[in-house]
Amino acid sequence: MDVLNELLAGFASALTWQNLLFAFIGCLLGTMIGVLPGIGPVAGVALLIPLTLNLDAAGSIIMLCAIFYGTTYGGTITSVLLNTPGEAASAITALDGYAMTKIGRAGVALTIAAAGSFIGGSLATAGLVVAAKPLGGLGLMIGPPEFFALVVVGISLLVALAGRSMVRALISGALGLLISMVGIDPVAGAPRFTFGIERLLDGVSFVAVIVGLFGLSEVLSYRPGRDKVTVQAPGMRSLLPTRTDWRRSAPAIARGTGVGFGLGLIPGMTGSVSSLLSYGAEKKFSKYRHELGNGAIEGVAGPESANNAHANGALIPLFTLGIPASPTIAVLMGAFLQQGLTPGPTLFAEHAEIAWTIIASLFIGNILLLVLNVPLVGLWTSILKVPYPILSALILMFMVVGAYTINFSVFDVFVMVLFGVIGLILRNLDIPLAPLVLTLVLGPLMERSLRESLDISRGDLTIFLDRPVTVVLLLIALGIVASPLLKLRKPAALVAEDPET
Amino acid sequence: MKRILAATTVTALTLMATACGAETSSSAGEDFPRQGKSVEIVVAFAPGGAVDTAARLVQPVLERELGTNVEVVNKPGAGGQIGYTALTSAKPDGYTIGATGSPSVVVTPLDPARGANFTRADFQPLGRQVIDPAVVAVQPDSPYQNLDDLLKAAKDKPDTITATTTGQQGGEHFAIAQIKEATGAALSPVHFSEGASQATTAFLGKHVEVLVANVSDVTDLVKQGKAKVLGVMDSERAEALPEVPTFTESGHDVVAATARGYSAPAGLPEPVAQKLEAALKTAVEDPAVVAKMDDLGLATSYQSAADYEKFWAQQETDYKTVLPLVQAK
Repeated sequence: MDVLNELLAGFASALTWQNLLFAFIGCLLGTMIGVLPGIGPVAGVALLIPLTLNLDAAGSIIMLCAIFYGTTYGGTITSVLLNTPGEAASAITALDGYAMTKIGRAGVALTIAAAGSFIGGSLATAGLVVAAKPLGGLGLMIGPPEFFALVVVGISLLVALAGRSMVRALISGALGLLISMVGIDPVAGAPRFTFGIERLLDGVSFVAVIVGLFGLSEVLSYRPGRDKVTVQAPGMRSLLPTRTDWRRSAPAIARGTGVGFGLGLIPGMTGSVSSLLSYGAEKKFSKYRHELGNGAIEGVAGPESANNAHANGALIPLFTLGIPASPTIAVLMGAFLQQGLTPGPTLFAEHAEIAWTIIASLFIGNILLLVLNVPLVGLWTSILKVPYPILSALILMFMVVGAYTINFSVFDVFVMVLFGVIGLILRNLDIPLAPLVLTLVLGPLMERSLRESLDISRGDLTIFLDRPVTVVLLLIALGIVASPLLKLRKPAALVAEDPET
Repeated sequence: MKRILAATTVTALTLMATACGAETSSSAGEDFPRQGKSVEIVVAFAPGGAVDTAARLVQPVLERELGTNVEVVNKPGAGGQIGYTALTSAKPDGYTIGATGSPSVVVTPLDPARGANFTRADFQPLGRQVIDPAVVAVQPDSPYQNLDDLLKAAKDKPDTITATTTGQQGGEHFAIAQIKEATGAALSPVHFSEGASQATTAFLGKHVEVLVANVSDVTDLVKQGKAKVLGVMDSERAEALPEVPTFTESGHDVVAATARGYSAPAGLPEPVAQKLEAALKTAVEDPAVVAKMDDLGLATSYQSAADYEKFWAQQETDYKTVLPLVQAK
């Protein structure tokens, strides 16, 4: 009951009208910034930190959390409406989100995304309240070998993401790995695949790549006359999810929350890993997996719950160990430090009141996101009423500006255009894009954890076999990889009812 | 809706316009910093490490002094090389500065195998902020309860006790090499190229036995009772860890420390350099910043641009001699 009392006290100090106003402004500003591709939550929060400097500790943290939720949700809006992911963690949402937009269900997608974010975020925050300590310890059990095995499980989901052809999925996956290797080798420091171009030392920007692959290639592949304008503006009625939508979303939200929260506990995982793996999980386990890719609500509900649960789960290592588990959390940590607070277990001992106010403000941020954005869904979707020729020009402008703002450099615009063309080629060859995104995100994590593990074992590969957690994870990965082989027995039946899997 | 779209468009165009504006700004730099154009501090390590934290503490004061936005941008990887490359290849207009830490910044260009495309001459030092001695720490329940236990074990069974570094040829890797050189005790390095927070995580999870880090990295861990520091690699005890003996006290002549400061790409216009140096001095010596740095176990040790440059040159000479010990085999 002690915890509950302290939490209530936290709510009491967070719920002044000033703080609510800060939260409201933060949410609104965050959404605006998040809508711009290129500026994701990290840059968004960092950009707006100066706004909060003159507020008191509670007020500034509340506003930052609100900005953070806002930017995350803003990224979803463009993923769904324009097929242009506003930030990395929403990239995978574009697959089904935009497909839903095409069939006039954009409003449903956005409402479910907001609800999923709310549920994922709130549950993860609740986890922080009730079990921060043991859960923080759990994250520590994941050393480099376990991390590697976990990433292998993620990569094995490539099998689930494969469309009709495994070969094509592997081509796509290999391409993603190749792209992720561009830049300076993180361990020995040797440049790879840079062709002497200095700009490539840093690798290619993930956001520029996905904006090109998804958004630009979509615009490029539009042929007037042949393709009907497929994007439909939804009517007022279709903004709200039906009972079926809710029923179908519930398990996806639950899975997404589980995946996101679990991965959030592990320092070094990013929100985009969570949303990708959640999508993979839907592809593998959802009852409606054959509809994924064609506008299934699960493909929005799962990843969107996952990335918010991840974001909130990642606060647990921060509060229990003082370790910022993700770049966004690190920015928040910077804000803490500027307020004279050192996040970590000592925060609860020394500034318990502020610590609980912050936790209360996380709940408030989540609620605000819901009450602010659901009514705005109608507003956002009305963008689709713009005639396609004008809308596509707007989308193009949006993508160019977005790519430019990643590093304020034209180089990223060229990267975006190049990947737009590559995306177009891949589409025409019927090569799926999702495996590429998966390996692009997981490749560097896999390389890093593999090399760290081998450093620990001094080059001995058996390190992956004498740890129980890694063995279990590797077996799961093996099972996932082997699962399509098992299906080979009844190919005819499957192909008939399952065109996408 | 239109208004919102218009507002976003305007924001986007403003961002674009301000960024383009820099291209045409006067070369004399008299008007530095231009209104609305923000200054970036490139941090070559992941968020959460000591370098990053120090930069984030200095940032608001710099913002006040320069009268413009200052942003901390993390470009981690390859033991700092990625961030330093970004820093030195930026335009020397004062809008990109970076946190520079030794030994990484000093050593990277010395080793031809790393293919670094910058040298010391590509940096223009602006000021030093801290000196942070290296430490060796173990789990509180470790079998090694003092420095001699650990060193003896590492001598008896060389290359079996794992120890963290923040990347090949990083400060910790140098420290491990120096210990081997001075005492014959060989620890087996595990390189965490993403930085100190990943190394600390692996240590806390007991995946690596020994945490080699800086005083600032372990201060909070010691407070929480999660790490036992066996020795400080300095000639004097650290203020933040008064009860921990130095290596010198224990009879081993090992001194290793990380020095951190800020630099710009070489070739800043004189007025810009002066403004930045002055703003940095104020920020580094700001009492509130110093107090927060002390809380983190970071002893502020300011040096002006000229002194920092001399210090840098001295370090370059020193590291050249131990470099062969840490080169990739």
